[in-house]
Amino acid sequence: MNGSPDFTFFWIALWCYLAATVGAALYAGLRRPRVRAFVLAATVAGLAANTIALVVRSAISGHPPVTNLFEYLSFFAWAIVVGFLLMWRRKGLELLTVFAAPVAFAMMVMASLFPSQIEQQLIPALQSYWLWIHVSLAVLAEAAFAVAFVASVLYLVGARRGFERGPGADALDAVTYRAIGIGFPLFTIGALFAGAVWAQRAWGSPWSWDPKETSSLIVWLIYAIYLHARLVRGLRGTGVATLSIVGFAMTVFTILGSKILGGLHSYG
Amino acid sequence: MGLGAGSEIGILVGLAVTAGVALSIRPVRAWLSSTRTAVAVLAITGVLAAVGVFVGQNLPPGAYAERHGPVFGPLLVRLGLTSVFASWYFLVAVSVLALSILACTFGRIVRLVRARRRRIAAIGSFVTHLGLVVIIAGGIVTALGGFRRPADRYVRAGGEIEVPEGGFSLRVDEARTDFTEDGKIAEYVSVVTLIEDAREVGTQRIEVNHPLVRNGIGVYQYEMLPAAESVEEAALGVVCTDEGGEERVQELVVPFQEAVPLPGTALSLEVVAFLSHFTYDIERGTAELASVRHENPAVLVQVSRGDTVLGERWAFVGMPSHDAGPDIPCRFFLLHYRPDYLRALTRFEFTRQPGTPLLYVGFGALSLGLVLVFWTQAAAVTINEPDDGGEA
Repeated sequence: MNGSPDFTFFWIALWCYLAATVGAALYAGLRRPRVRAFVLAATVAGLAANTIALVVRSAISGHPPVTNLFEYLSFFAWAIVVGFLLMWRRKGLELLTVFAAPVAFAMMVMASLFPSQIEQQLIPALQSYWLWIHVSLAVLAEAAFAVAFVASVLYLVGARRGFERGPGADALDAVTYRAIGIGFPLFTIGALFAGAVWAQRAWGSPWSWDPKETSSLIVWLIYAIYLHARLVRGLRGTGVATLSIVGFAMTVFTILGSKILGGLHSYG
Repeated sequence: MGLGAGSEIGILVGLAVTAGVALSIRPVRAWLSSTRTAVAVLAITGVLAAVGVFVGQNLPPGAYAERHGPVFGPLLVRLGLTSVFASWYFLVAVSVLALSILACTFGRIVRLVRARRRRIAAIGSFVTHLGLVVIIAGGIVTALGGFRRPADRYVRAGGEIEVPEGGFSLRVDEARTDFTEDGKIAEYVSVVTLIEDAREVGTQRIEVNHPLVRNGIGVYQYEMLPAAESVEEAALGVVCTDEGGEERVQELVVPFQEAVPLPGTALSLEVVAFLSHFTYDIERGTAELASVRHENPAVLVQVSRGDTVLGERWAFVGMPSHDAGPDIPCRFFLLHYRPDYLRALTRFEFTRQPGTPLLYVGFGALSLGLVLVFWTQAAAVTINEPDDGGEA
């Protein structure tokens, strides 16, 4: 087991998110305010531990916590929780907001499966300020897509049950659209634009059809289709909700894919 | 290989004329600017890109049969799915996408002029689509006039290499790998002198993330290998037979080209040569360097007694030196070695990407347009438009 101090806080965060996940499942069935308060407390405690873990790790390593999959997924979980907590006080979205923890928990579990040693010395390719810009913006964009994903899942579940017990169809549709409306420009600027600038500097070409680059392009195309359907044609409902879910599935593949497919982005 | 500037302009003009003709035909323009077409072509491009992700691209043909089986593997090659991004159908999909975006952009000019409410969103939408057009134009310019090519050889300090299409050459003054105290790679460094018209015009340090750019050509630190014909030190396994016929095994660390006494004997050993990839030329009867990669490393061990050289033996990893004759009563193994990073071999990559400025401008416009559309929350200007398929 890793003896680094950040690791203790990582595990505290993971257990808090697990507790909140159990609470979220209970809340989905019981709808008791006390259960929701418990979910909020556990999620906030998890976020605090997650924040400390990331800060401590950055302080020790001297670089942002985005240089391998363990760090990336921990940071991703953090950003997802922040994204959901921003909506906590919105009326009508009570059920939606308790689902921050399950998604964050899933990311933390995945993070725990990857090597977690702190590398103070970055490999030469990662020694650039573009690391901050490119990866941080990509994580924030993907967290927004995660919010859209949960709203879309609830939409599909609600559509089957006639939206009787959860947030209304319009509210879920609006959250999905707003989240993608935030995530899409961030993804374009951070993942694609900043990525292209850095790639030109490090590899001599802004685009190499590397598996991660191409997967990112597919993510972008999926959300572009969503926006055309939703904005231009005014489509709502299960079709666009499904697109949002497919978009997030591809997002997760983009994060993990380089581990399987290799390529220029396979750092760790 | 890039085309000449004249050819590039000619092809671009040809493409622009073709696009202009296509867009001047009303039904074609209507079809290209419909949302259905846009969504369909986005989806097709996405599916082809997904094929490119899941089917490894540009591998040797044999690799596909190995990965996907004797039937499916060759089929993938035959269908062009193993280099999908250069296939005609991918280029057709991207071309239709480009035309569709172009048609939508023109449509947006009209809408922009007419817009009375939510002008910012209308401007954002126009700028977004214009940005995409510029990005695609940048891609075409690079595809026509650019190149990206690793150097065909490694260069050590003192060596010189011509920069293709750059009109200058580089003399490598220093090639080294820097390490941290705990042995992690800190940086690959090549210090070069630029030579143009037989004159030295400057010196520059090339590192990863810090290329040399001159005359439109980028020179990138592509690879760095430790020296192919020297090591810092070698650890040898030595098996000697004493006068009683008993074998004695010991390990000895020998710095390169430095004699070290072999304990318990009157012998001394010296590593006089190293080959990172040993091969033997039977005709000439000499050991040769097959490549600069460390694929079959071998050290030449010279054995002496006092001032008398008894002989030399090549020692390999996992294989004893052969012919332990009467002159040398020992066999040697190469256990491991510390590579020589101070006399490293550097390899550059040369690129010309003439479309990159356009790409940046396009991405800038795309990003700005999206921010205007979404962060002003005025996008509803295009919601629920009457649809003939809608306009993308």
